Amino acid sequence: MSSRNQGSSLLLLTLCLGLALTVMPLPQVVEPARPYWVAMILIYWNLESGRLRYLGQAFVLGLALDLLTGTLLGQHALGLVILVFLLERFRNRIRFFPPWQQAMAVFVLLLNERIIQLWIILLTDHGWPVWTWWLAPLVAMLFWPWLFLILDSLRRRQRQLRS
Amino acid sequence: MNIPGSTYSSASTAELAGRTARLMLYALLAVILMTLDFRGRHVERLRALTFGLAEPVFLVIESPFRLVVSLRASLRDHQGLLDERNQLERALRESEARLLLVDELAEENAELRELLDATDQLESRFLTAELRNIDLNPYSHRVFINRGTRHGLRQGLAVIESAGVVGQVDQVAGRSATVILISDPDHALPVRLQRTGLRTIAYGSGQIDELRLTDLPMNVDLEPGDVLVTSGLGGRFPAGLPVAEVVEVQRPTGEAFAVARVRPLARLGSIRHLLVIELEAPGPLPGLAPMAEDEAADNLPGEDA
Repeated sequence: MSSRNQGSSLLLLTLCLGLALTVMPLPQVVEPARPYWVAMILIYWNLESGRLRYLGQAFVLGLALDLLTGTLLGQHALGLVILVFLLERFRNRIRFFPPWQQAMAVFVLLLNERIIQLWIILLTDHGWPVWTWWLAPLVAMLFWPWLFLILDSLRRRQRQLRS
Repeated sequence: MNIPGSTYSSASTAELAGRTARLMLYALLAVILMTLDFRGRHVERLRALTFGLAEPVFLVIESPFRLVVSLRASLRDHQGLLDERNQLERALRESEARLLLVDELAEENAELRELLDATDQLESRFLTAELRNIDLNPYSHRVFINRGTRHGLRQGLAVIESAGVVGQVDQVAGRSATVILISDPDHALPVRLQRTGLRTIAYGSGQIDELRLTDLPMNVDLEPGDVLVTSGLGGRFPAGLPVAEVVEVQRPTGEAFAVARVRPLARLGSIRHLLVIELEAPGPLPGLAPMAEDEAADNLPGEDA
């Protein structure tokens, strides 16, 4: 149980950082291609330390995102819940993939999430998104190995500090 | 495929069934929430509440970006600043000269209105605002500004920029507020065609660079390039502010109404500096006090945003 609590401050910190990156101002041209930071951080913690595995956690995180970004309440929540469900289904396989294959898995998961978002956007009469909007999962894939390394080293350092 | 034992497999199928059930439950919950939010606006109060709570979070997130901006400002060189100051001074003098003319027109207008015995125009006060360094979701058609209840903002105030109407204040917290853009599909703005005086309503289309006029008569006199201004009906926006330019008029056969696509004049996607207009209800006229009050009351609810 103590191993679960250990490092939850780091988990919270990275999640807050992800939320901050989500609303960070970007030039209008690249804004639609902003990677889904919170989902990537969630995937990392899920795969590497087995935390954030409950659908309820994903749901709450999604609601927080909805409130933060002013989207329809439940839009991000739905995407994240489905993402965590799929992740859990293939978790044991994805965990032992080499990094590039893992990045591909992240790409597929995020692309699926985009398709869910597209469905909601079209249902609410917002029209088709610009084509750069589809680049977001690709950008996330390119960032994934680096995010993985950074979070891994942070976690290792924290563990060293504790012991 | 790679399941080690049968006991484990049966346990995992049960677990999987449980997870699927929970997925369905959460998905249903999310869909219900979205429907409530989209159709009934029942969660509006919850949203307003959480907006107040989330404001400090926004301020914390914004602080590093604000620091960068202020650092960049303090590192500007002397000569550049002097040049800019001269430029601004020139612009200010030009606007002052133009304002003199406007002042005279306003006086003349007031006299004419008195002659016609017309009601006073609504008084308005301006409040400058700046966008906060926070990107909301582009599909929410909201921007985040650095003025709030402390500066006297309240829901429904008109927001403009130098080129035209931007939107109206949506949610207000202590030092910040969100502004709903006129391009939001939920937004409707009473407008008047400058050339012919035709009054209609401009609806948001969900695209940042497009509005729609959907209830025009088939024989409407409307051409690309015509300018739409606010009509002042509804009482939220003062009359005569530029809104949009007509791009295209369609008269689909078999339909009852013509449809026009119009382009907002304000650069909704790239605005930084805004003006919030605070309308003050007209003072009661002598002898007409109850009517004036009625009018003020009529002005308050305004159009459905």
